[in-house]
Amino acid sequence: MSRKPVDIGDPDRLYTVTGGRSEADDAFDLVTLIVSECEPAAGMQSEHVRILELCRHPTALVEVSAELKLPITVVRILLGDLHAMGKVSARHPRAADSVAALPETALLQEVLHGLRNL
Amino acid sequence: MPVPARPRQRRSAQKTGSTPVVFPAVLVVTAAGAGAAVGLAPEGARPWVAGTAIAAWGCIAAVVAFTSARLRKAHRQTVSRTGELEMTKNNWSQHGAETDQLVNVTLPAVAEQLKNGVGADKVLAGLPTPSDPYLRRMLHVFTTEVAQSVRRTTDAQSDLDMMRRELALGTQELERLTNDTLPAAVSLLREGSSADTVLAKLDWPSNPLLRSPAESFIRELAYSERRSAAAQAASAKALSRVQAKTVGMLADLRDMQDRHGGEIFGDLLRLDHSTSQLGLMTDRLALLMGGRSSRVWNKPIVMESILRGSVGRIAAYRRVRLHNSSKASIAGFAAEGVMHLLAELMDNAANFSPPIDEVHVYVEERSAGLVITIEDSGLKMSDASMRRAEESVSGQVTDLASLQGTRLGLSVVGRLAAKHGISVNYRPSSRGGTGVVVLLPPQLVAQQREPVGPERPRPGADLPTAPPAAAPVAPPAPAPVPAAEESFPVRTPQATAPVDEAPPVDIPRRRGAATPGGLPVRAPGRTMAEAERGRTKNAPEPSRAEPDANAPARDAGSRFGAFHRGRHAAGTTDASPAAPGEDTGPGTGPEAAG
Repeated sequence: MSRKPVDIGDPDRLYTVTGGRSEADDAFDLVTLIVSECEPAAGMQSEHVRILELCRHPTALVEVSAELKLPITVVRILLGDLHAMGKVSARHPRAADSVAALPETALLQEVLHGLRNL
Repeated sequence: MPVPARPRQRRSAQKTGSTPVVFPAVLVVTAAGAGAAVGLAPEGARPWVAGTAIAAWGCIAAVVAFTSARLRKAHRQTVSRTGELEMTKNNWSQHGAETDQLVNVTLPAVAEQLKNGVGADKVLAGLPTPSDPYLRRMLHVFTTEVAQSVRRTTDAQSDLDMMRRELALGTQELERLTNDTLPAAVSLLREGSSADTVLAKLDWPSNPLLRSPAESFIRELAYSERRSAAAQAASAKALSRVQAKTVGMLADLRDMQDRHGGEIFGDLLRLDHSTSQLGLMTDRLALLMGGRSSRVWNKPIVMESILRGSVGRIAAYRRVRLHNSSKASIAGFAAEGVMHLLAELMDNAANFSPPIDEVHVYVEERSAGLVITIEDSGLKMSDASMRRAEESVSGQVTDLASLQGTRLGLSVVGRLAAKHGISVNYRPSSRGGTGVVVLLPPQLVAQQREPVGPERPRPGADLPTAPPAAAPVAPPAPAPVPAAEESFPVRTPQATAPVDEAPPVDIPRRRGAATPGGLPVRAPGRTMAEAERGRTKNAPEPSRAEPDANAPARDAGSRFGAFHRGRHAAGTTDASPAAPGEDTGPGTGPEAAG
């Protein structure tokens, strides 16, 4: 495993971000869309603030995780907190509809091919 | 017949002057008497009488002659005796006078002269010699003896003077050794000079009695100094390896936490916590041994991270409640020290309060700096232990000899406080336990630049009323001390600024972090990796600036990128449900914006 330069990153460890919890509830799936329901208030944990700001537009959990540079589990725990406080709402993607409406893979590949040729 | 002779003899003995006349008279008288007797005697008897008278006179004459001769002799003897007596008397008186002279005049004069240093021979020569040989001898003996005594006394006096001088010199040297030389030598040794250097450099007493103990003392002290320095250096070196290992482990753990979920994630967190505690212990020892902290931050660290970074290093971190609304950052050079200091104080507070009670940490911004209060509700500290704690955290006593047993934390706090000019004070807490007030001076607080305009497009574009609305609410409801509001408005611009990917301080630097050719530029004090990251951040910049009005801050491309990165990081297990999400994710963006 490659060693990173020591002074990259932040001093806070993940268990301090989650308050020692490591188990997330399963209410959030990787592609669950999160929408914030209110503005961040002062005194909130900075991750909560960032999630609320990020999720002004519906944003997938996995995106939040990438933006916050935090593991999925941690984001799930944070979202669980926010959800419990009613500050965010979760929308599960309508998988059935979207799958039906999707173009076929072959067509997509052709489009991709065409784009690359541009 | 002898009867008349006796009184004569007796008389002549008594009266010597009359005898020469008496004796011839007696002879004449007796001769006359005898003649008369012869004349008177009858004729027939005459020859007989004459013969008898002649015989008797002859006897008397013989007796008279003998007696007168004896008398003359006695007289002569008397005369000579009287003369002798006279002479003796004369002699005696002369002798007395001489003795008198000798005792009263000569001897004191001799003593005086000898005392004045005149030689014995000279003194004797200058004196009238007494006639009496005994006196002469006595004078001689006296003079020589006194001269000898005087010489001896002088010698003794000079010896005494020399001794006194030597003693004074010795005392002076000893004083100089005690007051100047030894302290200077000890401080030189403390600075790391060798014993030979110290012995050559300083002025040591010439007296071997002083010099040799001083020298052996210096050598012994140098030896123990060297031993303790070597022990410290070895510990610091060994600890620095442990520190590097710990930091490496923490980085690895963070890496693994990104890659694993579920049960492994919980285990990793536990390991992470243990490793962080290990890091605190190692850092503590390293600082005591004169080493350095394990990490150095080269960017300002926001207060929240500082608090979390400290609380994450102690065992009972779940019992610590952080109340922080400050957006201030601690300058990178001091961040690690501040975190360590706070961790030690929190650890102390958590260890000395009941395991069910919470420890509360409050942060206030004051003009004097940042005030951090750590309050526990444990037992009140006794005055003595409070004083001891104050003393430890004052940082005035940095000698390892002052360490007490296993209670190292507070003395580390003292060192860190002294190093960064932080003031740490204990006081009884209103919650029943003990409170520690830590004042971070303003020079440790990173300079906060005003956030630049384009950094906050979204709050401004979407909800223009939101930031002003948030501002009055900004002072937190559970503000520990109402006075925090005084300084709060000053910070309001920062407080309401959106907390984006990085603290505002870093933003201006990231701007120009690439050459026109696209190569990353490493600003001084930053790592290459950060510059690299800054470059990728620049990519969405133009798209963020131009479609200000109708588009969301991040366009679909960047969101897709984020999605992809997130998926990548999450592992491969969720790959299939993510596939439809790729379409719905970006699809919702414009929908929500429009």
